[in-house]
Amino acid sequence: MSGDHIHPEPTSFLKKHVFSVDHKVIAKQFLWFGLIWLLVGGVMAMMIRWQLANPGSPVPVIGGLLFPRTGGVIDPASYNMLFTMHGTIMIFLGLTPVLIGAFGNWCIPLMIGARDMIFPLLNMLSFWTVALGGAVGFYSLFVPLGATEAGWTGYPTLSTTVGTQGDGETLWAVAVFLIGASSIMGGINYITTIIRLRAPGMKWSDMPLTVWGLFFTAVLNVLFLPVIGSAMLLLIMDRVFGTSFYVPASIMSGASGGDPILYQHLFWIFGHPEVYILILPAWGIVADLLSFFARKPAFGYKVTVGAMFAVTVLSAVVYGHHMFTTGMYAMLGESFMLLTMIISVPGEILFFNWLHTIWRGSLRLTTSMLFALGVIFVFGLGGLTGLYLATISTDIFLHDTYFVVGHFHLTMAASALFGAFGATYFFFPKMFGRMMSEKLGKLHFWLTIVPLTVVFCTMFISGYGGMPRRYYDHTSADYLVPLQHLNTITTHSAFLLGAAQLIFAWNFIRSRWWGPKASDNPWEVGTLDWQMPTPVPHYNFKEIPVVKTGPHEFSHPKLGDRDWIPQTEELPA
Amino acid sequence: MNALRSLFSFPTKAVAAVLATPLALGLLSAGATAQDVAKRWGPTDPASTFGEDFQYLFWLITTLVSVSFAIVCVLLLIPVLRDRAKPGKKAHYDHGSSLHDKRFTAVVSLIVFVVLDAWVLVVAMKDLREGYWNIPAPDDEKTYKVEVLAQQWAWNFRATGADGEFGTADDILSTNTLVVPKDRPVSLNLTSKDVIHAFFLPDMRVKRDANPGAVNIAWFQPVVDGEFDILCAELCGYAHYQMHGKLQVLEKGVFDEWEQEASRLAVAAHDAEDTEAHWAWEWQE
Repeated sequence: MSGDHIHPEPTSFLKKHVFSVDHKVIAKQFLWFGLIWLLVGGVMAMMIRWQLANPGSPVPVIGGLLFPRTGGVIDPASYNMLFTMHGTIMIFLGLTPVLIGAFGNWCIPLMIGARDMIFPLLNMLSFWTVALGGAVGFYSLFVPLGATEAGWTGYPTLSTTVGTQGDGETLWAVAVFLIGASSIMGGINYITTIIRLRAPGMKWSDMPLTVWGLFFTAVLNVLFLPVIGSAMLLLIMDRVFGTSFYVPASIMSGASGGDPILYQHLFWIFGHPEVYILILPAWGIVADLLSFFARKPAFGYKVTVGAMFAVTVLSAVVYGHHMFTTGMYAMLGESFMLLTMIISVPGEILFFNWLHTIWRGSLRLTTSMLFALGVIFVFGLGGLTGLYLATISTDIFLHDTYFVVGHFHLTMAASALFGAFGATYFFFPKMFGRMMSEKLGKLHFWLTIVPLTVVFCTMFISGYGGMPRRYYDHTSADYLVPLQHLNTITTHSAFLLGAAQLIFAWNFIRSRWWGPKASDNPWEVGTLDWQMPTPVPHYNFKEIPVVKTGPHEFSHPKLGDRDWIPQTEELPA
Repeated sequence: MNALRSLFSFPTKAVAAVLATPLALGLLSAGATAQDVAKRWGPTDPASTFGEDFQYLFWLITTLVSVSFAIVCVLLLIPVLRDRAKPGKKAHYDHGSSLHDKRFTAVVSLIVFVVLDAWVLVVAMKDLREGYWNIPAPDDEKTYKVEVLAQQWAWNFRATGADGEFGTADDILSTNTLVVPKDRPVSLNLTSKDVIHAFFLPDMRVKRDANPGAVNIAWFQPVVDGEFDILCAELCGYAHYQMHGKLQVLEKGVFDEWEQEASRLAVAAHDAEDTEAHWAWEWQE
């Protein structure tokens, strides 16, 4: 095991900062990588919103540079490319690397008292595989005909050569495959590390909930990324080698009778767990942050873990609700409707425990805490609106409208992002040895949550009004013209939301190099990661710590003046 | 040195600039979208038999969800306002792991499931059995049958004409305009020539995918006459946003006249050599 002997710290720049096997360096690599892609995906979102509010007007400032042939106007093909790449980038290259790659790598070994991941080399490979995937995806923007325009879901037969020519779609499938492979490597590493490398004395119930969230995510990654991988392989074979897994005989001569719906099954068997792959780490982080900053033990720890486990299991058996309009067998649809609704029970238990955790606490409203509380608000909105879409008879109307867009952005995008922001503000001092500005952080929070709520709640209204998603121009259909004013509201709020993220970028970069030096445990919490010096020494722990207490022992009556206790100390009898 | 110091002070100007950007963009776009149309904050009034059920269930869910969300917000706001950290004040030490807490959790979960899920589920199942999935019998005289062949980027329609048979010379063919009778069930067979499309009649509260290689079934019964929009709801490529047509719902007498005339014209226009136009399939139930 890696803990048995300590290698000396590498001295060359390449080994230390680029091809490092140290989980802390890899965590930072994932963080920078993910943040840069979030910026790219965010700019794409801004362009999408510009086009929707001002169909056919040239994009200000950057339009002339990006769309020179049309004088800065986004044409329908580029528009389709923008929302396709926005979705792909945000999910696979933005949120996944930040939440799972960066905070998974940072938190797991430090929080369980390990010197590194159990497979450090695999860990490095995981980062460089996702980097390669990102490079392939980026390269696809520059091939003839440009990047794919078939949507992030890539449904055949639109995504086969029947609907999409050029190499963009093929490269997209290769990129998704590579990113999936990276997640599987990470998942295997996380699971094995958590099982094998917990410090002596650390029972499963002594792990911070962050680690639990990452553990369940890793399990889902290992189970379901192979499914999207195989779906992508079949798609690549259909596109490159002329097979017809997804192409029915009736529409292409020479095709031997494939089925486009097969892809939808494969995609959503992966796709629905993917929602939970992104949200489970955020849930774990939020559950910890609420306890840390309410100075209260996490309410119903074991029930919370049980609820996260239940969500993990259920996430695998509800995917059919993405396909209610495909014409699936009625009884199958009804089963998926029931199973989907059952997920609301563990979901509600999590809310119940979070709200109970802060009840009668002693709340320190730091920026991290604000974002954790924000998740309750944002995920509440997103989760509850899922009920409309789980119900077949309302989903038939709402499917593929902006209602769905609002719903999944609030759940898998905004909630996951809020978790990531909370985690960034929280772990930053240990990661970079400096404090982020709380003043700017709070400003960032308020300027994010207000426009974000307006953006996605307006989308609910547009969707209820019947506005289909993925439309280049909603004013083209008579039915949609009276809804156009909603697009204007959404777009203006989205610009404010996007601009507010510049405050975060500024805060992050300024604090990284010029922020005030952080003390070893600025938040006064007891988990192992905050008990070590800042910056964290190479190989983390000189002596592997012995764990004697749970992670959330705050405000114990016998603790005296200090309201927290390190996990390495015993609670007073 | 001054430059360095300004890095650490609160960047009022930077923040102001950040906030001014969206405002400027907003002003730019406000001019571009000034339009003189009646605004809508929801769908049009329902025009089919599904409409009432849909509206009822939608607002039932909205009520349940709003009450739940309000409860969450109140439970979130109380501790945020009341339980802030103050010097000398300690949080209440409670792990919430007692049997009492677990029972409380179980009871709340049960209430949530029954009120939020089971209630909606029961109403939805009834609506589905009596509505969307209660597909009208094809051999019923009243049922008006239409075959829909979607393609990039148009809707092709085929009705049986006077003889009640598909694939005959008097089939009424049309593109992007579908004429149907009021107060009769309209039964649809949908498929696609190329990629997946979705046949979306927002006024009728109906949507169904048109998949290549298979025939999908849907139905609706218009209760209002007039002209309505047909939209495509599944991304189908470049002109997805322009793939729309019109649905014309005619009163019984007007429709019957139209059908006879259209069928007669169809026979006159029928070209046995034009194999492209002979795309009918055997009706699927």
